Amino acid sequence: MTHPATTTPRADQRSLRKFCTSPIARLILAGGLSLAIVLVAGVQLGAIDLSWAQVWAGLTGDSSEHVQRVVFELRLPRTLTGVLIGIHFALSGWLLQLLSRNPLAEAGILGISAGASLVAVVAFIIGDWLVSSANPYNNTSFALQYLPLFAMAGGLVTALAVYFLGMRHGHLSPVKMTLTGAVIAGMLHALTTGALAFWGHAHTELVAQWLAGSLYGAEWQHLHTLLPWTLIGLAGVALLVRPMEVMQLDDEHVRTLGLVLNRWRAFALLIATLMAASAVGVVGPVGFIGLLIPHISRRLAGANLSVQLVLCVLLGAVLAVLADLLGRTMFSPYEVPVGVVSAVLGVPFFLYLLSRQP
Amino acid sequence: MLRTEHLSLAYGDKPVVDNVSLAIPEGGITCLLGPNGSGKSTLLKSFAGLLPPRSGQVFLDNRAVAQWDRRRLALRLAMLPQKPIVPDGIRVRDLIALGRFPHRKWWQMNLTIDDNATIDAMAMTGVSDLAERPVEALSGGQQQRVWIAMALAQETDILLLDEPTTFLDWGYQLEVLELLSTLNREHGLTVVMSLHDLNQAAQFADRIAVLANGQLDTIGSPAEVITESLVNRVFRVHTSITAGREGRPFCTGFAESAQSRPRQRPHCTTTS
Repeated sequence: MTHPATTTPRADQRSLRKFCTSPIARLILAGGLSLAIVLVAGVQLGAIDLSWAQVWAGLTGDSSEHVQRVVFELRLPRTLTGVLIGIHFALSGWLLQLLSRNPLAEAGILGISAGASLVAVVAFIIGDWLVSSANPYNNTSFALQYLPLFAMAGGLVTALAVYFLGMRHGHLSPVKMTLTGAVIAGMLHALTTGALAFWGHAHTELVAQWLAGSLYGAEWQHLHTLLPWTLIGLAGVALLVRPMEVMQLDDEHVRTLGLVLNRWRAFALLIATLMAASAVGVVGPVGFIGLLIPHISRRLAGANLSVQLVLCVLLGAVLAVLADLLGRTMFSPYEVPVGVVSAVLGVPFFLYLLSRQP
Repeated sequence: MLRTEHLSLAYGDKPVVDNVSLAIPEGGITCLLGPNGSGKSTLLKSFAGLLPPRSGQVFLDNRAVAQWDRRRLALRLAMLPQKPIVPDGIRVRDLIALGRFPHRKWWQMNLTIDDNATIDAMAMTGVSDLAERPVEALSGGQQQRVWIAMALAQETDILLLDEPTTFLDWGYQLEVLELLSTLNREHGLTVVMSLHDLNQAAQFADRIAVLANGQLDTIGSPAEVITESLVNRVFRVHTSITAGREGRPFCTGFAESAQSRPRQRPHCTTTS
């Protein structure tokens, strides 16, 4: 965001000091600190707990091959991928909730994740069939970098359908949009299950695990696939903050303030869909992060959308990494997918927030 | 300035406004009167370019409103809807600052000049003391002043208001109307609003346009428009009209269905 210098340097310093001691700065600091803690824990803890020295040595490449492999090839990429998917789902949910003026909106509930999953699963099945029929020995995973693209295509088609079916008299009706999304999500889930049953291949397990939303086996490649979309999404969200502030008002009010509403709504929907669907393409549909984190951020930040945005990024990453960490350490050597843990962690907290709502 | 020529408006297939031609006087207060469903709100929306005409045109400065770029239009014309939505948890100051949106490119933050316009708007509407309060916590009358402040921060010369007094008690209604009257007098703001109360319209308007069944019935000064025959024709009410202060008409009405007319009831006249 451009922020033209409008005040004298002294006033800038004063406002900077004022900002640093404000409750908002403390919130952001606390969010950043929790993220740092879960990041370190994510690398340190697991099937084998490492000491600080071992982690440091692993990171700097000055350790045994074993430790280095654990740190550098397993835990670090997995933890960082967790950070990204947390950001993706949280920001997507934040945009969708603002856009539809509906606190329940989220990629999962609106069917965007389901659309992304269906297309990704179908692409996976077809790709797997093509690859194995061409070369029966090359049975490794269907090219990962393409899955997010398929997922995004599925997510976008679903989002467009939900958006246009959610219109009433040429304007978006939040209630209609949410209902439409929920119904379409149900249908797409059924189709995904159907596709899997129809396929009935040995890889079903792999896909089932993916559908539960899992960071299992996340490697650097996952991170590299996701990162460009994270950057695009973050840039898009930053551009959207100011129009979003205005778009919280009544539709007609928004338009008389000079904002071309349909264009901005479409852009916000596009960014929200790209973020959610690209993450679905890499790790599967992880629910609840997109529902919970925006709520928590709103509670903490108040009406300031910029602060909400920063908190969504930080807390989304914290929840995803923490849920993954718990999922892989609690019942070690068994793993509970991050989607399941984030739901189990998140739902009681969400119900608590709901019960406190006036 | 703002005028319509043979304007017809419709929601889908349902015609709402039919062949209305009128001109809004610059620097005046114009009230739109008419029964429910007569097309007042719809006409106001078309002034703001929110509803494309089915036929005819709305002109601002001799250029069809539909041709205006939305942002440029927002620099000339502000509108306050009947039931504006308060964003969750927003403070008075931040809500009013949203009125500055059309003055900046959409990626720019507000500048000092915007902060000053916000502060001025708060001073003009008497909400400066409420600046840090959440809007939801304010009374209806205070909220309405905040919304008007937001429209003022937009720094337009035309302000459209859709029934700005509807959800307010009598005291607040007069407070809002007096505020608009002051802004009109002291800052030359052109005000166009729909109202339900004939006497309030008669008291505050320079010009009254009466709509009935989507058509323009009468337009003129309060004394010209508020007559016993018009009120009977348009509102189905028998009235006795007396001359109020400044020669403005004041009417007392009895619904046509009322069997017996009450004789002695207390009634009060506002003085400002």
